Amino acid sequence: MNNLFQYVPGKSVIHRMNPITKLLITIVICVAAFLSDRLLFLAGLLAVDLLIGVIGGVANRTWQIFRGLLKIAIFLFLLQVLLTRKGTPVFWIITDQGLLTAGKVVLRLVVVCMPLALMLAVTRISDLTNALVQVLHVPYQYAFTLSTAIRFIPQFMEEMSGIMEAQTARGVAFDKARGLKKFSMILPLCAPLLISSVRRTDQTAAAAEVRGFRLRTRQSGYKRYPFTGVDFGAFVFCGALLAAAIIL
Amino acid sequence: MITLENVSFAYADQGPSVQDVSFRLEKGEFAAILGANGAGKTTTVRLMDGLLKPTSGRVLINDMDTVKSQVSERARKVGFLFQNPDRQICKNTVREEILFGLRTVRGDEGEEALQARTDEVLKDFHFTGDEEPFSLSRGQRQRVALASILAVEPEILILDEPTTGLDYLECCHIMDRIRKMNEEKQVTVIMVCHDMEVVLDYARRALVMAGGRLLADGPVKEIFRNTELMEKASILPPQMIGLGLRLGDGFENADTPEGMAEAVMARRGKGGAGA
Repeated sequence: MNNLFQYVPGKSVIHRMNPITKLLITIVICVAAFLSDRLLFLAGLLAVDLLIGVIGGVANRTWQIFRGLLKIAIFLFLLQVLLTRKGTPVFWIITDQGLLTAGKVVLRLVVVCMPLALMLAVTRISDLTNALVQVLHVPYQYAFTLSTAIRFIPQFMEEMSGIMEAQTARGVAFDKARGLKKFSMILPLCAPLLISSVRRTDQTAAAAEVRGFRLRTRQSGYKRYPFTGVDFGAFVFCGALLAAAIIL
Repeated sequence: MITLENVSFAYADQGPSVQDVSFRLEKGEFAAILGANGAGKTTTVRLMDGLLKPTSGRVLINDMDTVKSQVSERARKVGFLFQNPDRQICKNTVREEILFGLRTVRGDEGEEALQARTDEVLKDFHFTGDEEPFSLSRGQRQRVALASILAVEPEILILDEPTTGLDYLECCHIMDRIRKMNEEKQVTVIMVCHDMEVVLDYARRALVMAGGRLLADGPVKEIFRNTELMEKASILPPQMIGLGLRLGDGFENADTPEGMAEAVMARRGKGGAGA
């Protein structure tokens, strides 16, 4: 779970794409998921997500992300099914409308969450930052803020898991508790996590300052990010996906 | 006591970190695990507390397999001092921090007894109890973490690089308290340490690891004097031992400045007698 947002090195066609193209695909999939209300189309989008993972050579990571989302999805599905009263009853208090709505909510959740994690798995954070600055003319400070926030996610998760491990070794029964009880045990640990996070942020800021953070401009990067044939192909695919979402 | 029987471990998607390691630590021993980065030292101590479960082999704490019980259940008997004290500290005052550990594993003894024990530990570690742990220096935070573990009075103490980032004085404060527990209460101590001077000063037994395997196991001084072994494990012996070995000829056994001075005096005396 700790490395879900970390980059997986590779030479696949997805890896070679311009980071901006990958960002565009991510956004387009999310927008398409909200534009369409058809269950079949949402299922198709999920297939696209999975296909991207397979083509990108990160099938294992895709499966990990999918499995992680599945737990939340099941919870949401049950909640929707049990709370929706509209439609014809199928079994007990479950209605056909409830099943359909729950299916859509769950599919939408998975479809929207997967592309971002997949994009981070096939794109170096530094490439994403540089491409945002060079291609989209985003000021470096903003791009750096975005990339730092993404970079910190796995670090915070690792830190939290380290804190929990240390507390378990002191006798706090994290290894026995489940559900709400475990959650209530985690709450007091937010203090050390927050303090270590602030310390880390402070150190990162100091390190960035001494390396000339404010001197960086669009011209500072050595690596260039031109669009190639693969990127133009992806643009066509994105256009088609959006059109399909609107029409269907 | 701790027993490792043919223990191997591999992290997911990685090669083996620990391979076929076997040794036994008796009650009251003070041992150090030595080796270069990536030798498998930290993995071994994490296996010893059950924070990691072996891929094959067995880890026994007082004849109980770590796989068959939870880490939190062993906290009364096994104390683990992590390299980063900030992961252990979670309360707003040093008193609360020490009490937290005590309440977690010795809660059945009653609040009065726990408060008394806290006072004792605070005095021993020279804290007033009102200090805010996160405002203290790195060394002092490490002392708070150690104090909260020693307060519980574990039978076994596992230390993962306890002196990293500490100045000499803080290092001595921490290690002296650990030695005191070891000598007075027969607490079994096993530590991972990169500072060979600290190992020479405090540990009595050394286990040398390289590439996930146990290369040697023996008395500290004997291990440090084995130049071939030191080279194989990429370890530099403590300066005095290194100097004694290089000088040779009567200096080989000198491992402290005093010992070296004695060897020099003896040599002078011999020279004088010869003249």
